[in-house]
Amino acid sequence: MASLWKDFVRGLWDENPTFRLMIGLCPTLAVTTSAINGMSMGLATAFVLVCSSALISLLKNLIPDKVRIPAYIIVIATFVTIVDLYMNAFLPNLHQVLGLFIPLIVVNCIVLGRAEAFASKNTVIASAFDGLGMGLGFTWALTLIGSVREILGAGSIFGYRLLPEGATTLGIMSLPPGGFITLGILIAVMNMIAARQKAS
Amino acid sequence: MNESLRMVVVLSVIAMISAGILAQVYGITSVIIEENQARALESSVFEVLPGTTQVNIIRRSADELGVDDTKEMREKEQKTSLIYQGVNDAGQVLGYAFVGEGNGYGGTVRVLVGVDEKSNQILNLKVLEHTETPGLGSKIEDEGFRKQFVGKKVEDPIKLGQDIDSISGATVSSRAVTEAVRQGFDDTTAVYKGGK
Repeated sequence: MASLWKDFVRGLWDENPTFRLMIGLCPTLAVTTSAINGMSMGLATAFVLVCSSALISLLKNLIPDKVRIPAYIIVIATFVTIVDLYMNAFLPNLHQVLGLFIPLIVVNCIVLGRAEAFASKNTVIASAFDGLGMGLGFTWALTLIGSVREILGAGSIFGYRLLPEGATTLGIMSLPPGGFITLGILIAVMNMIAARQKAS
Repeated sequence: MNESLRMVVVLSVIAMISAGILAQVYGITSVIIEENQARALESSVFEVLPGTTQVNIIRRSADELGVDDTKEMREKEQKTSLIYQGVNDAGQVLGYAFVGEGNGYGGTVRVLVGVDEKSNQILNLKVLEHTETPGLGSKIEDEGFRKQFVGKKVEDPIKLGQDIDSISGATVSSRAVTEAVRQGFDDTTAVYKGGK
């Protein structure tokens, strides 16, 4: 039980995919123009991560080593397509915004990375917890970046207006450079906190 | 079992199971997706024909579309055979809207074009659906590109490089929109205006 908890929290902080491992940065920079976009992308990725990690762990002894990558990709691609279709059917507005990026989850290195580094060597339950931790770590990171960019760039958060209509906002924060700037500053802050933790 | 045979078998089995699951999911969701799109299309008509409060749908026949094959007809019918006539509160016909299709960089691009009833000029254009590259081809949705079509008549060239400027880095996507408008405009004018 204790080790499952460790598998789970590792992705949230110590090995946070965005701020620590710095993988999966393409969707991170692309979709975090608002808090809700970041959160939805994170949750979609988390769902794919949990399902594919668990299934790959289950199949790890059946899949011959030489074809493991194509096998993993098929599994991942299947879950991504399911998410894509369901989102299109039941959340069409969200799909309008995220639709183009959902298929990119297939090639998100977090998903394949966890399959290769963790799920192919560990039990099904541990892999699911690892996937959940990594997925939620990715989710909170994207939500945070999205929130910062939305507050500064559009003056709102989760669609709720904070600043009055017509207030001056930093438009650049909604554009790609804003993504890089926000990510860089947040990583610096994370490093500072981690360094303090270590020192004490 | 021989190792290479095992690789083939395992991969094939995984691929088959995956295909089976996806076929099921597609079967469930495609119905809902189509309904959503139909509803979205209808509300888009209000956008491209300002002032419209009611939409009449005019169906084009196979003859008018120039296709004989029934299957082709059925496919086309769902997507591009309808003309949406926009009517205001007073019952006055304001204009009509049509769907055009073009081949983009990542798949089919569908646009909805609204045309003024009297002047026969394009009033507005909306990209309904596309799978172009985010950040490049997806700029076809931007106002700056779309407004080039406003005011165009069916007699105008509506051709990339002549009266429509391409988005830099997204020539194929720009051409897809231009061709979708051109094609749809020709087809629709022939039927809608010709039939009067």
